[in-house]
Amino acid sequence: MTNSKIKFKPVSPQIEALVREHGSQPQAVLEMLVELQTQHGILTREMLDDVARLLELPAARVYGIASFYSMLEVAETAQSFAMSKIRVCDGPVCWLCGGDVTSIGDAVRAEHPDWKVERTSCLGLCDRAPAVLVDNEQAGPVLAEKVSAILAGENVKSIDYSLPRPGEVRVTLAHAGKVDPDSLESALSVGAYQGLQAALKRTYEEVISEVENSNLNGRGGAGFPAGRKWRFVAAAARTPKFVVCNADESEPLIFKDRVLIDTNPHQILEGMAIAAYAVGASSGYIYIRGEYVSQAQRLERAIEQAERSGWLGENIAGSSFSFQVHIHRGAGAYICGEETALLESLEGKRGEPRVRPPYPPTSGYRNLPTLVNNVESFAAVPHILQRGANWYKNLSDNSAGGTKLYMLLGHVNRPGLFEAPFGLTLRQIINDFGGGLRPGSKFHFALCGGAAGTIVDESLLDTPIDYASAGKGISLGAGAFLVCDERVSPVAMLRELMHFFAVESCGKCTPCREGTRRAYDLLVCLAEGGGRPGDLEELARLASVMQAASFCGLGQSVHLPVTSALRHFENEFAAGIRS
Amino acid sequence: MPVHLTINDKPVQAHEGQTVLEAACAHGIVIPTLCYHKDLSPVGSCRLCIVEVDKLRGQVAACNLPVAEGLVVHTETPALVQSRRTVLSLLLQNYTDAGYTSHDGHTTEFEHWVRYYEARLPDGTSPAPRYPLDGDPNPFIWVDLNKCILCTRCVRACEEVQGRFVWGVGERGSYTRIIAGADTAMLEARCESCGACAAYCPTGALDHKLSIRQGEADRKVTTTCTYCGVGCQFDLNVKNGKVIRVTSNPNAPVNGMHLCVKGRYGYDFIHHPDRLTGPRVRRYLLEEGEKVLHGPAWDWVETDWNTALDITARKLAATRDHYGGSSIGVLTSAKCLNEENYLMNKLARQVLGTHNIDHCARL
Ligand SMILES: Cc1cc2nc3c(=O)[nH]c(=O)nc-3n(C[C@H](O)[C@H](O)[C@H](O)COP(=O)(O)O)c2cc1C
Ligand code: SF4
Ligand code: SF4
Ligand code: SF4
Ligand code: FES
Repeated sequence: MTNSKIKFKPVSPQIEALVREHGSQPQAVLEMLVELQTQHGILTREMLDDVARLLELPAARVYGIASFYSMLEVAETAQSFAMSKIRVCDGPVCWLCGGDVTSIGDAVRAEHPDWKVERTSCLGLCDRAPAVLVDNEQAGPVLAEKVSAILAGENVKSIDYSLPRPGEVRVTLAHAGKVDPDSLESALSVGAYQGLQAALKRTYEEVISEVENSNLNGRGGAGFPAGRKWRFVAAAARTPKFVVCNADESEPLIFKDRVLIDTNPHQILEGMAIAAYAVGASSGYIYIRGEYVSQAQRLERAIEQAERSGWLGENIAGSSFSFQVHIHRGAGAYICGEETALLESLEGKRGEPRVRPPYPPTSGYRNLPTLVNNVESFAAVPHILQRGANWYKNLSDNSAGGTKLYMLLGHVNRPGLFEAPFGLTLRQIINDFGGGLRPGSKFHFALCGGAAGTIVDESLLDTPIDYASAGKGISLGAGAFLVCDERVSPVAMLRELMHFFAVESCGKCTPCREGTRRAYDLLVCLAEGGGRPGDLEELARLASVMQAASFCGLGQSVHLPVTSALRHFENEFAAGIRS
Repeated sequence: MPVHLTINDKPVQAHEGQTVLEAACAHGIVIPTLCYHKDLSPVGSCRLCIVEVDKLRGQVAACNLPVAEGLVVHTETPALVQSRRTVLSLLLQNYTDAGYTSHDGHTTEFEHWVRYYEARLPDGTSPAPRYPLDGDPNPFIWVDLNKCILCTRCVRACEEVQGRFVWGVGERGSYTRIIAGADTAMLEARCESCGACAAYCPTGALDHKLSIRQGEADRKVTTTCTYCGVGCQFDLNVKNGKVIRVTSNPNAPVNGMHLCVKGRYGYDFIHHPDRLTGPRVRRYLLEEGEKVLHGPAWDWVETDWNTALDITARKLAATRDHYGGSSIGVLTSAKCLNEENYLMNKLARQVLGTHNIDHCARL
C-alpha cells in the first residue's frame, strides 16, 4: 500500500550546493539556515525538509532549530522578498526612552508600506536607546517622529568613547577611539600582541599563574576566577581543547562587549590566543549574537589581518604554537549566552542548556575540554601579561582585581560606558561618573547588574559594589546600572523585565517556561491597577520556586529583580491591587 | 563500587553511575517524576523530582543527580512540596482536559501527582484550549496537545525506542510546543504508527485513537502477540468480552513497553465477523467424493481438528507417494513460534521429503 501523504520530491539543487559548501556538516545547520534566510528572506518547510534530508537530520530537529532562534522565520510558503525588515528593540532601556514598536511601526509603514516591522528583545544598543535594526544596520536613538531621518541613514554612528571621564581608570578601553579598529598596524602601534609575545616566552604554567595572581574574575556576570578556570582546562586530559569567547551579550542593559569589539578587536583575539596557549588549545570560536552583524564583520577582518601577519594561525610569531579563530554567529537567543546553551548552539542545536556536571572545562564543545570566557575577560588578559599580575590586581582595592566596564543608563546627565575599579557605590557611579541625576529628576530606584540584577532603593546608594555585594542586596552582574526617577514605576519596570525573560526562556524546564509567563501576566495586571489579593504572595512564591528549582541560570536569576523590587517597593506593588 | 548515601535519614547503598532517583527507587523510596522514564535518557526538565541535598544550593533534580559517597538527600521537605505544587499548578495552566475518557479509567501519571500534591489553578484562571482536539490525521495516534506538559517523553520514545525521530520540540519559551517533522502531520514525518509515543505519554496528550471514548476495561489479559515470532507481550484491555485497547506491559520480557503497529492497533481481527474460529474443509473431501470445483461439493464445511488434520495428512502422503516429495512446497507463517517453524522444517524435510520450504517473513 502506498501512502498518498508521502510524496517524493527531489531536493533543491541550490540547497544541495549550500549544504555541500558547508561540508555537509550537521553542526553547520544553524549557519545554513541563517544563509538560506538571508538569500530568501524567509524559511519554508520545504527548505527545512531539504536541509534535513541532505544532512540526514530529522526534519523535526531542523524545524526545532529554525523556530527556536528569533532571527529565523519559518513561513508556510515562499514570499516575494524585496522588502526590508525593521527590528524595534523592546528592551527596558528603549522602553524607558520612549521606544515603542507601534508608533515606530506606523511611522515606518507610512513611508514604506511593504516593509516588515518586528518587535525584538534588547539589541545591545542601550546607549543609543531607543534603538532599531534596519535590516542589519544598527541605528538609534530613533523616535517615531524621527523615523524618516533614520531610514535616510542618519543616526547609525556608534557613540564615541574616546574621552575618559574624570576618575576613569582605563585598561581595556585605553585605546578606544584612538586606534583604527580595522587596522592591524594601528593596533600594533599601541602595543597589540605584545602580551601574547610575553606569554610565548613563558611556560603555560607561568601564564596561568600570572592570570591567577591578577585576581581577574570572569566579566560575564558570575565573576568566577579566570585563572582557576584556565587551570581546570589545562589539567583536563582529553584533546583537542577549545577556547570559546562568549560575545552573545543579549542581556538588557549590557553593551560593553560590543564597544570592546568596535574599538579594539585585536585586544580580544590576543587574549584568546594567550588563553589558548595556556590551556593547550589550537582552535577557538567567537560566539557572537546574530544582531551584531557589523561587529562580526569587524572581528572577521581582524582575524584575517592577524593571520596574514602571523599573530594567529600556524606557528604564531615563529613559535610552535598554532591557533585558529572562527566566528560563529548566533541567530537571536539570550539563553545562548549561558555557556552550555552556547555550546549546544555552537554545535548547531537548539540553545538549550546542558545538565551540569560535567562542566565545560572537562566536557564542552563536542564534549571536549573547553574554556569559555567573556569578551571583557579576554580583553583584560593581554594587559595582565604585558604589565604583570600585581599591577593589574592593584588597580582595584578589592578582592576582585583590575578594572571593570560600567554601563550607566537612565535618568542621569551623562549616561554611557566607562571603566573604573571595583567597589564603587551607586552614589559614586551616579554623581562622580554620571554627572548626577538629570535636572528635575529625583532618585527612585536603580536596576543594578543587568536585567537579571537587583532593583534597589536609596538605602543601598552607599554600599560598595562588587561580585560579593549581591549578598547585601545590590548586584554587579555584568556591570550595568539603570537609574530611574520618580516618574517610573518599579512595577512597570519589572513587567518589562519579565516580558524579556518569558520571551527568552528556552522553554525546557517548567518553573522558568511557565513561571515567567505567569509572573508576566500578574505584573501586567498589577501595573495597571488590576491586581488581585494574593498576587504579591504568588509572585514571591513563583520567584522562589524559579530560583530553587529551575534548570539553569536564566530561571534561577529571575528572582533577583522580583524579590528585591518586592522588598523595597512593596507599597507600590500593593497599590496595584484592585480594592 | 558501592556508594553509601542517606535518603530521608535512611542509609542507602547504591552503585557508581546510578542516579539518586534510581537509588531511591531501588530502596522503595518514591520520588515523583514526569519527564523521567526508566527506558529513556533523562533530561531533567519537568523539575518534579527535585530533592534537597545537604551542602548543595537550591533544589536539584534527582533524575540526573549522580550518587556520591556521603550524600545526604531529603525528598519530601515542606519547601519541596511547595515547589512541586507550584510546578504542577504551572503545568495545569496550560492543561485543558476536554472531558473525554481515553485512558482506561486509570488516572494518568500527571493526574496522579496533581492530586497527590493538591495542585490547583490560581483563582480565576481557566485555561482555554490552544490546539485542535484531534490534532493529527494519523489513523491510530490521537493527538490532543491541550494536555501536553512538554515532558518530551514522546520525542525520546520515538528516537530511542522506535528509532523514527518523528517528534521534536518547536519554538521556545511559553510558546514551546511538540511538533512532528517540520511541523507537519505525523505520517508525513515518517511515522510508523507504532504508538510508542502514546504509550510513554504521561498525560494522555498522545493516546490510542481507536480507544478514545471506549470506556473503562473490566479486566486486563496479558497475552503474547500473534502476529510474528518476536513474541511481544502486552495487555488486552477487555470490556464486556470485547478488546477495547492494547496497553504495553512494562514487564514484558521481550519487548518491554515497545510494540509495533500490528500488535498495538491490529486487534480488530479478534472480533471480526469474517474471522475463522475452527478448521474448514471442502465438502467433497469430507464425503470422500470426487473433486468438483463448483456446486455443493466445493462448499466449505466447518469440522473438528482431527478430521481436518487427517484429511491433510492423507492428501500430503498421497501426493508425496505419487509425485515425489519435491512436488510439495511448504510456506510457514510469522504467526507461528520459532519452535513451530522449526517443527515445520522437520516435517517438510524428514516427513514430506522436500527442501521447498520458505517463510512469509522473507518476502
Ligand atoms: C541566561 C544567561 C545568560 C548569559 N549571557 C552571557 C553573555 O551574554 N555573555 C557572557 O559572557 N556570559 C553570559 N553568561 C554567563 C556565562 O554562562 C558564562 O558564565 C561566562 O561566559 C563565562 O565567562 P567569564 O567567566 O569570563 O565571565 C550568561 C549566563 C546566563 C545564565
Ligand atoms: S531555566 Fe529552564 S527554561 Fe529557563 S532558560 Fe534555563 S533551562 Fe531554559
Ligand atoms: S507512533 Fe511510533 S513512529 Fe509514530 S511518532 Fe509515535 S513513536 Fe514515532
Ligand atoms: S505529548 Fe505527552 S509525552 Fe509528548 S511532551 Fe507532551 S506530555 Fe510529554
Ligand atoms: S523527572 Fe527529573 S526533572 Fe523530570
